[in-house]
Amino acid sequence: MNLAATGMAAAVAIGLMTALIAALLPARPALIGTGTALTGAAAVAAGAAALAGGSFSVVLPDVLPLSGVSLTLDPLGALFVAVTGGVAVAAGIYSVSYADTADLRARGVQTALPVFVVAMVLVPAAANVGTLLVCWELMALASLVLVVAEHRRGPRVASAGRWYAVMTHLGFVSVLIGLMVFVAQAPDDSFTALREAGRQLSPAVAGVVFVLTLAGFASKAGIVPLHAWLPRAHPEAPSHVSALMSAAMVNLGVYGVVRVGVDLLGGGPAWWWLLVLALGAVSAVYGILQAAMSSDLKRLLGLSTTENMGLVLIGVGAAGLFASSGDHALAALALTAALLHLVGHAAFKTVLFLAAGSVLHATGTRDLDALGGLRPVMPVTTAAFGVGALAASALPPGTAFVSEWLLLQALIHGLPAGGVAAAIAMPVAVAAVALTAGLAVATFVKAFGVGFLAKPRSDAVVDAHESPLTMLAGMGVAAVVCVVLALWPAGILPAVQAAAGGVAVSGDVILRLDQVTGALSPLLLALGLVAAVVVVAGVVRTAAVRRVRRTARLWDCGGGPMSARMEYTATSFAEPLQRVFDDVVQPELDVDVSHHQESRYLVQAVEYRRKVPDRIERRLYQPVLRLIAAWGRAGRGLAPGSVHRYLGYGFYAVCGVLILLAVTR
Amino acid sequence: MLSLWRKIRRTGRVAEPAPPLPDGERPERAAVLGGSVQIRHVDAGSCNGCEVEIGSAFGPVHDGERYGARLVASPRHADVLLVTGVVTRNMAEPLRRTFDAVPAPKLVVAVGDCARDCGVFAGAYGVAGAVRDVVPVDVEIPGCPPRPEAIVEGLRKLTGR
Repeated sequence: MNLAATGMAAAVAIGLMTALIAALLPARPALIGTGTALTGAAAVAAGAAALAGGSFSVVLPDVLPLSGVSLTLDPLGALFVAVTGGVAVAAGIYSVSYADTADLRARGVQTALPVFVVAMVLVPAAANVGTLLVCWELMALASLVLVVAEHRRGPRVASAGRWYAVMTHLGFVSVLIGLMVFVAQAPDDSFTALREAGRQLSPAVAGVVFVLTLAGFASKAGIVPLHAWLPRAHPEAPSHVSALMSAAMVNLGVYGVVRVGVDLLGGGPAWWWLLVLALGAVSAVYGILQAAMSSDLKRLLGLSTTENMGLVLIGVGAAGLFASSGDHALAALALTAALLHLVGHAAFKTVLFLAAGSVLHATGTRDLDALGGLRPVMPVTTAAFGVGALAASALPPGTAFVSEWLLLQALIHGLPAGGVAAAIAMPVAVAAVALTAGLAVATFVKAFGVGFLAKPRSDAVVDAHESPLTMLAGMGVAAVVCVVLALWPAGILPAVQAAAGGVAVSGDVILRLDQVTGALSPLLLALGLVAAVVVVAGVVRTAAVRRVRRTARLWDCGGGPMSARMEYTATSFAEPLQRVFDDVVQPELDVDVSHHQESRYLVQAVEYRRKVPDRIERRLYQPVLRLIAAWGRAGRGLAPGSVHRYLGYGFYAVCGVLILLAVTR
Repeated sequence: MLSLWRKIRRTGRVAEPAPPLPDGERPERAAVLGGSVQIRHVDAGSCNGCEVEIGSAFGPVHDGERYGARLVASPRHADVLLVTGVVTRNMAEPLRRTFDAVPAPKLVVAVGDCARDCGVFAGAYGVAGAVRDVVPVDVEIPGCPPRPEAIVEGLRKLTGR
């Protein structure tokens, strides 16, 4: 057994043991959290070892009836195993104190956490369809239990759980049908057999398989228009679960698309990848636009996940497009950019969700309009969120900057590569990435500026306190990874390129693109930035020394003192953006002015309500839901509750079948 | 757009020819400003008569800006405070704070009879006093309300142009 196999075995064993302890013994969040973190650490070790060249493969025919369990850790799967493990380490440490509440100490919830992590680690390691689908479903069920863990908090949690359950299972059905169609063309359901069969599939069957699996995997990745569960489930789940779902689980949707589309089906025609690219572009722009309008901190982060998965899919789609036109160097570059962004997203989204959870833990609210002024009371959480927010905005020195720069390079250089389709798609994709990057900066300036700086907007914040040490440690681990990824992406590039199946970027301090011209050094850029800040600060300081220092009152229009009600809120900060994108988001505004009874000229109160509904949801989901409701109402007439009637239905059905058989045989 | 051009062509130039530079004493500190004077207007309790005339003084006919005077939006940007009206009790402290917020060197212009010596409101129960009772005044422009020409003339004492 090599290190990868040992690591995987350790991860599964520790995870299942932890789950067993959680199920049998009274709640011990410290033990369960530690077990989860150790599971993650073992997964990271396994993934890293497999990426370094020690891949392994194991077949256990007796574990699962009919298909058996078959696991393989190739570089692509290993990257996802390592990312999932990394998120689990941070979330596990964090959960030691965070999960120490009445709702989260429940036995089922404590058991589901390690099971969820083990299932997520196994999905990218599965080497046949049976194993993949079983682990996929286990992952969905465990996460569902965790989403509804705090169901006592209100009906919204239950509603989020229902949405998540239905959407994830529809996605599962879609993946299931797609893979069954695929397996029917192959001798057995192992990925090796599928890989060979995939080369000989007729284009129509391959297209059906790809579209069906894409629909299922995209719904897991929160891609528009199958994203409706994501902004519901992520805010309502406990924060360490949100981090696991948003930073690790959604990645597996992308894994599925890459595994089936690129690996098993072996590429495919250009229209597949144009579809992926279009879905990615729409998700990126729509996700970040909705996030910019949101004033719920965790909903904002959830919508930003849709945006980032959209960016990743833009990269995947571009890679498929380049590969289908035979340009493998550019394809490797685009896929490297996509996977690097995915790793970076996992790091910063973990920090952001854990920090948001810390805020929720301390103040009891995630409404940005009620937060603010957290910097003095929660300095570490504020710093962690700041690191995450910088990493999420595509500005140097941030984590997302490097990957989005690579993505843009691939898209720009891809213009002459792929004929008419690429000539149209590439400029649009570049524009989408640029718009997304700009809106992401506005969104995270809002989240950080309104949520953490300025004055407290409610009493809950005034009484806030810094979180316990283990929560800070969980955030700290992820924040350090963010900083390392931002300054030294070369450290992880070999692993990402091994997963992407091609070397596109080389260099240690200065990243140079192969085949196309382009170079970037995040480290030197960051050092230059720091040097510039030091120089400017020094000049200002020396210039200021010569002048007499005067303390002046903050200009408050002479009225003063300024209250927290005069601050920018999340709603008012997003208002200009909302005006610009009025036609796209179609907000519902409502202004109520009530007057004094004595005179209509004296205003008693002005009430302003703004709601930004999800337009795609209203157009796409409401008609379907109405149709299903109508179907149900129509069916109700057939079921009046009479036993005789039901027996009659059975009798006539059997007679009908017998007559049918008699006529046709 | 076309109608705007047509309007401009039909109307032509409406600004009155610049009257000769007013003589009379020029505050010493105004010379430091070098002919460019940024003005913040403060309504300390005016009936808005003076405001109408100030608006007119900076309108196209009298065009105060051609002499180097300009209205700005914050005392932090200003060299000069243009105070109108009697100083009411509610506005005394804000006026003092506004004066403090203007960077030195700074000047104060009291516009209208109320600002100079409380005008018809002298002795009223809500009045804290004339402007000079609250902040030091450098230039006074009499009138109830002063004509726009008078306001422009007063400001030209500061710009020296």
